[in-house]
Amino acid sequence: MKKTMLAILATTALTMPAMAQDKPKIGAAVYGLNAEFMQIWSAALEEHPAVKEGLVELTIFDGRYDALVQQEQFDTMIAQEFDAIIFVPIDIEAGAAAVEAAAAAGIPVVGSNTRVNSDKLKSYVGSDDVQSGYMEAKYVLDAIGCKGEVVIIEGPIGQSAQISRLEGNMKALAECPEVKVLEQQTANWSRAEAQTLMENWLTAHPGEIDGIIGQNDEMALGAIEAIKAAGLNVTDFSIAGIDGITDALLAVKSGDMASILQDARAQAQGAMDVAIKSVTPDHEPMSDIWTTYTDMPWNGGADAEYSVPWTPVTADNVDALLALRQ
Amino acid sequence: MEVKQTVASGSEGDGGGLKRRFAVYGQKYGILVALVLICLFLSVANEYFLTARNITNVLRQTSINGILAIGMTFVILTRGIDLSVGSVVALAGIVAASLATTSSTAAAAGGPYPAVVAIAVGLLVGMACGAVSGVVVSRFAVPAFVATLGMLSAARGLTLLYGGGRPVPELTPEFRVIGTGEVAGIPVLVLIFAAVFVIAWWVLSATRFGRHVYAAGGNPHAATVSGINVRRIRFLVYVISGGLAGLAGMMLAARTGSALPQAGIAYELDAIAAVVIGGTSLAGGVGRVTGTLIGALLISVVNNGLDLMGVESYYQQVIKGVLIVAAVMLDQARHRRE
Repeated sequence: MKKTMLAILATTALTMPAMAQDKPKIGAAVYGLNAEFMQIWSAALEEHPAVKEGLVELTIFDGRYDALVQQEQFDTMIAQEFDAIIFVPIDIEAGAAAVEAAAAAGIPVVGSNTRVNSDKLKSYVGSDDVQSGYMEAKYVLDAIGCKGEVVIIEGPIGQSAQISRLEGNMKALAECPEVKVLEQQTANWSRAEAQTLMENWLTAHPGEIDGIIGQNDEMALGAIEAIKAAGLNVTDFSIAGIDGITDALLAVKSGDMASILQDARAQAQGAMDVAIKSVTPDHEPMSDIWTTYTDMPWNGGADAEYSVPWTPVTADNVDALLALRQ
Repeated sequence: MEVKQTVASGSEGDGGGLKRRFAVYGQKYGILVALVLICLFLSVANEYFLTARNITNVLRQTSINGILAIGMTFVILTRGIDLSVGSVVALAGIVAASLATTSSTAAAAGGPYPAVVAIAVGLLVGMACGAVSGVVVSRFAVPAFVATLGMLSAARGLTLLYGGGRPVPELTPEFRVIGTGEVAGIPVLVLIFAAVFVIAWWVLSATRFGRHVYAAGGNPHAATVSGINVRRIRFLVYVISGGLAGLAGMMLAARTGSALPQAGIAYELDAIAAVVIGGTSLAGGVGRVTGTLIGALLISVVNNGLDLMGVESYYQQVIKGVLIVAAVMLDQARHRRE
């Protein structure tokens, strides 16, 4: 059941001084601002040089985890004649109608972070979830020597990230035929749910579980808490998650788990540059992310897809990553 | 028990007959029988169900919902409902955590404070939320559903505003004791739950206030005429529910190791489910906190059993749905007879 929740207004947009008419109006429709990842994404969008220097006018819309709310926000942006829209949809299918409505009104839509099933998208700047699923499972399997027994804690069944990350998990598992998947169940990206699930699995399979593949960091952290609560040693398990949220970085630092960082900042700022380019043809990319990721060339902002690379969080880079969160 | 029967349905003795008595006992013990049967089945079906560790797990997994459900029982006994508990869980959890964290970015000014201070503040936050709902319901006669729906939204918004939408990690070991500590092998979570249960049971069955709660829910008009301050009772049950939600929020944060702004979403539904399965009538005046305990245990046992046997979690939702409806059907059938 979806929560009824007060809309969080994009205060930055409201507090900005009145803008000249010809400044491009860019709207960002994100699926929800309750969790840390999208907060980092949104903060990075507001820190894009073009926004800070006042070259574009940015408004962020909180979709409150509801496809219908996002659809209505698109209607609002179309009515207010926004020049471009950056879209992070809640649902891969339900977002398609919104993209088509904007395209019909001649407003370019740039996808970011989460895919939408539409060929009307101007471009997509995100990270390939299949790859992250493969990377985290590979880490766990390498750590247990490609044999033993693992469990998979999945995201909400049917969400695009769950589908793709599972595909990646399975790709890595196929390379280790001796490894048995003992359990595979959803904990809906939730730490508390994963903790309960893991407690019950530790009971059902005492001493059998070697590796834990959490499809996000929250759930991997929940599994760690369950292990601690059961009086077991976290280092006896190989545990991995995805996203690189702050708590997970801390857990990597203390040697409890591995995480694959999804670079929210690069996804947001990359999408912003592509969006500005679609409105202002002579725009040159302003974010430093294009120089950071040499594997992701700008190509004149014309590519249909920009794949932001994943960064494994290790003991070597964790302090630097944590410093960015302060 | 006696009180509730007298208030709700008049004297028991006049022409009840065997059939009626059977129905009353069925309602009183039916859900307990169901719990025992399910436990028996699981003991046979899974070798680990009846181990000490698994029983500890089930109790631990019941404790947070159980505490919310006990608060909800007070409210529902007065014909009310508290939809806000899930949001209050998050708000009290994040406020208390900000006072008990060593994280430099998330800590409140001057922190970390001793766990006792953080817990006291968390309880006060919960009680304050409950007091607002209570005033709106008892003084302004706003339906409880609407008043607490408002609080559900407002408390969640306040949670996000307070912490900037970010989680509060790195809680002090002292604070985490309420979520991870053990005394003689029994989790502190379970001990708190047991204490709350015993106190609630005593309050409802042996104190004047408890009798007034039943009276105010069973027949508010008669209660007012007989000199009971029904408004005050209605106010206080929301304070109790809010305070217990605050307590549960801190236990959740201490258990998961971090207070999350999205914690507790939809927890009100499981709490209401436990109360309803436990036989407390939404029409007010009838019900017991022991029933709520059994209802909460039943939900946890079903979830635990299906996890142990590797059954997909979606079945858990279906079974919970069936249990809720079956319990209320029983309740309705009894009402019709009366």
